[in-house]
Amino acid sequence: MNLMQEFTKGIIKENPLFRLMLGTCPALAITTSVENGLGMGAAFTGVLLASNIVISLMRSIIPASVRIPAYVVIIASFVTMTDQLMHAFTPGVYKSLGIFIPLIVVNCIILGRAEAFASRNSVVPSIVDALGMGLGFTIALVMVCTFREVLGSGTFLGIQLLPEGIPAILMILPPGGFITLGCLLGFLNKMQKKYAL
Amino acid sequence: MADIIKLGLFLMLVAAVAGLGVGYVNNVASPLIEKQILKEKIDSFKEVYPGADKVENESAAYLKSDADPALKEINIAYKNGKQSGVLYLVQSKGYSGLITILAGFDISTHKITAIKVLSQSETPGLGDKAKEPKFQDRYRGKNAATALEVVKTEPLKEHQIQAITASTITSKAVTKGVNAAREHFGRTFVDAKTN
Repeated sequence: MNLMQEFTKGIIKENPLFRLMLGTCPALAITTSVENGLGMGAAFTGVLLASNIVISLMRSIIPASVRIPAYVVIIASFVTMTDQLMHAFTPGVYKSLGIFIPLIVVNCIILGRAEAFASRNSVVPSIVDALGMGLGFTIALVMVCTFREVLGSGTFLGIQLLPEGIPAILMILPPGGFITLGCLLGFLNKMQKKYAL
Repeated sequence: MADIIKLGLFLMLVAAVAGLGVGYVNNVASPLIEKQILKEKIDSFKEVYPGADKVENESAAYLKSDADPALKEINIAYKNGKQSGVLYLVQSKGYSGLITILAGFDISTHKITAIKVLSQSETPGLGDKAKEPKFQDRYRGKNAATALEVVKTEPLKEHQIQAITASTITSKAVTKGVNAAREHFGRTFVDAKTN
């Protein structure tokens, strides 16, 4: 098994957001600022890493018929822990992400990786898979965030880029999320066809 | 039947271990979270009413049962042992959910020292601009005697507050909360003295 391949697949070939179309709910809801995207990406990667490790270690003892409830309990516990740790150590990001940290529980990428990868592979590849998927999702979120923040608020990471009056408020409202994600997907699909990624 | 019990026991075990883990993290994190919340509160007190020697929560004495329900907490700031300012914690219904505001008043000048939006869930990029100093500074130094009014353009009169662009509901909600505090302040700390 090629570990490098396991790592990079999450970024391009099997990018959770752009290729697998998973995790679109947070990708539409919290992507109004780059800071949010980075915070969400970090929280998500932490939970995915922890759940992949535990599920991979337990893969031989979890009975197949109750694997989904077992995964959900494991994932939910890690999310609760992450939620509390973020509240304690990074209150700023915690405040702006709000409800979307607890909602990582129902993020289908994490359950998806548990089912499709961690439950079938040993610990090391599972860690690499989590890091690759986490990075891929974070990059995807930050791409959406960048477009929305620059066009919607005229800032990048809070730094003013466009003068007042130019930014289109629509971009930071829900429709802006759909528009950005749609355009990005279309563009990336075209690129993929062209360069056969 | 035996299978169900086995599976049930397995899940119970998983849940118990997970519960232990969550409990442990909670033990570690909750004192830090409480400290964080307290520190935030003290910091915002300093921001809204600078220069006080101490601030005490005196809601029990000043917050009567017939008071405006928007008023949540009344804190008195002391300077050299004398009451010098009042810090109101008010809640007001915004565009989406409650907005919690801290409003500071000076007893000697009867003016708003500053306001701060502590928590809100307004639309990102629009109403959530209420948490920015740019908007909150519009309340600074306003006289507590007249009701504040939200206007969409550059304010012409002293008691007018310019709304956040495209977020009139949020601006009005914040102003309503500040007005509730202002009214209580006028009745309790201004009239009582002049009478």
